[in-house]
Amino acid sequence: MPEATLRTLSDPGRAGPVSRLSRLAPVHWLALAFLAVALGFAAVAWATGNGFYLRLATEALIFAGLAMSVDLLLGYTGLLSLGQALYFGLGAYVSALVLRDVAPSFWLAMAAALLAGGVAGLIGGVIANRVKGVYFALITFGLAQVAAKTVYNTRALGASDGLIGIPQISIGFGPLSLDTADPLSFFLLVLALTVAAYAGLAYLMDAPFGRTLAAIRANEKRVPFLGFNAWRYKLAVYVLAACVAALAGALYPMLRGFVSPELMFFETSGNAVITVIVGGVGTLVGPVVGSLLLTALRSVVGSWTEHHLIVVGVIFMLSVIFLRKGLVGALLARLGRRTGQGRTTP
Amino acid sequence: MTAASFKTAAGAGSACALGVRDLSVNFGGLQAVAGVGFDAAAGRITSVIGPNGAGKSTLFNLISGAIRPTAGRVTLDGADVTGQAPDRLLAAGLARSFQITNLFFELPVLENLRIAAQVLERPWHALHPVGHSRRALTKAEALLDRFGLSAKARELAGNLSHGEQRRLEIAVALAAEPRVLLLDEPTQGMSHGDTADTGALIRSLAGELTVLLIEHDIGLVMSLSDHVVVMAQGRKIAEGTPTAVRADPAVQAAYFGHG
Repeated sequence: MPEATLRTLSDPGRAGPVSRLSRLAPVHWLALAFLAVALGFAAVAWATGNGFYLRLATEALIFAGLAMSVDLLLGYTGLLSLGQALYFGLGAYVSALVLRDVAPSFWLAMAAALLAGGVAGLIGGVIANRVKGVYFALITFGLAQVAAKTVYNTRALGASDGLIGIPQISIGFGPLSLDTADPLSFFLLVLALTVAAYAGLAYLMDAPFGRTLAAIRANEKRVPFLGFNAWRYKLAVYVLAACVAALAGALYPMLRGFVSPELMFFETSGNAVITVIVGGVGTLVGPVVGSLLLTALRSVVGSWTEHHLIVVGVIFMLSVIFLRKGLVGALLARLGRRTGQGRTTP
Repeated sequence: MTAASFKTAAGAGSACALGVRDLSVNFGGLQAVAGVGFDAAAGRITSVIGPNGAGKSTLFNLISGAIRPTAGRVTLDGADVTGQAPDRLLAAGLARSFQITNLFFELPVLENLRIAAQVLERPWHALHPVGHSRRALTKAEALLDRFGLSAKARELAGNLSHGEQRRLEIAVALAAEPRVLLLDEPTQGMSHGDTADTGALIRSLAGELTVLLIEHDIGLVMSLSDHVVVMAQGRKIAEGTPTAVRADPAVQAAYFGHG
């Protein structure tokens, strides 16, 4: 059997064992750097007693969770969802209802949102994955519009006013507890959850499961001939993304004390896609960086003019034209050139 | 169909890995494949030849689950697998390569092979770190070596030369350790030297597994094959040993020209 190898074109200097994978990828270093900056920011905000910026940063992290869920679909699997706000809003409403009407329990609210997101994601995924490409995007858009209009017209859910008066809660961790009313505590909690989500998802995307998604993105037609049921993988990642979005949404009423149908509107879904593209598709860090950047921008520019969407739109276009892989993608490419190994895709 | 007169004593004693019976498909009104049947003996190389438009690639698509047949049966080691999805067929032991290179161009060469070998692992390994999939990685590295692609392991598949991509195409199809391998014009567009090397490689696969081959290079077909099936206009017009098929007047008329 070894006699039959094709040697004619092979180089004599062959690479050694190529399965070495323990080295921390540059993108993870970037994530660690981001975490350090976030903690530094928290320390400064706490020292100066600035609750407003802590709450703004917390909101940015919550929307970063939504953006990460979009990145799972768009960046890793090549599926453009224009309706991810459906699951974010669902998580927010379920969490708000649990906290207001059932029990002021963080864990119960998160569990209920996760369950609702999983079930809704399964239903939505079965519907949306019947089609591909632009039709998939349109179906996800349509599903979210239907859900948003239903909530908007349901009096029991507060209709256009949404749900208000969500109580502030105390979150127990064994002997310790933490209050959502305290900006620093809640920021640190959301930061910890964001880091956990990043670590878990980055792990999963580098495992064979995530790499099969990358294969689907690269060439879906070949995947079944390698023994994979592409439909099942796409459904699985869709449900996963719905769960991530729902968990992020569940944090929203804890921060703001209310939820409104706008959370499900296209603007929320569209912003998440813009966030991912500006931050860096297929990096998971990109959506977090993008969310913080765009939230800060909206806040700063919004204090000068109410037409801040114009600025966001221009940034989005510039990013699409000049930074094809987003901020993080460009940064990684630069780091890769310096160290001689670019690794922007998973 | 009168092709039965050319049928060899198929199934008599010799183990048949892949059986095709009266396979047909209609596209609109067109009978792309009409009542084709043959056996591919285990561990042997069976080739399908025929002029352009004879329905060879459609036949492959029918056998490999890419298209559902309108009639007929496909069996793998006697089990009926007609119309099963490609992923189920792969699990049953049938893999294929493509005439037009069909790889993950934006992924590294090694990763192309590792993904293809992942089915060798237990399902739950999909959620473990890649390093835990020892069997898939070992398989991928062995194929790199066997196909002379070790030096290109980290290169993106899209950056390989045409000949290298054609080799990777075969290697990817082999990664799942199939029992039956369908090769659709593996030497398409290859240089003369590469074609000869690839021929030697395909020859070396016989015995290990059953090969069904579509090939335009008649010289290669005649030197490699144990059994040849000749198609024209969607039908089987002859089958037999390379020598018998070459001498057949119907084949000469349809395929080798009217001489």
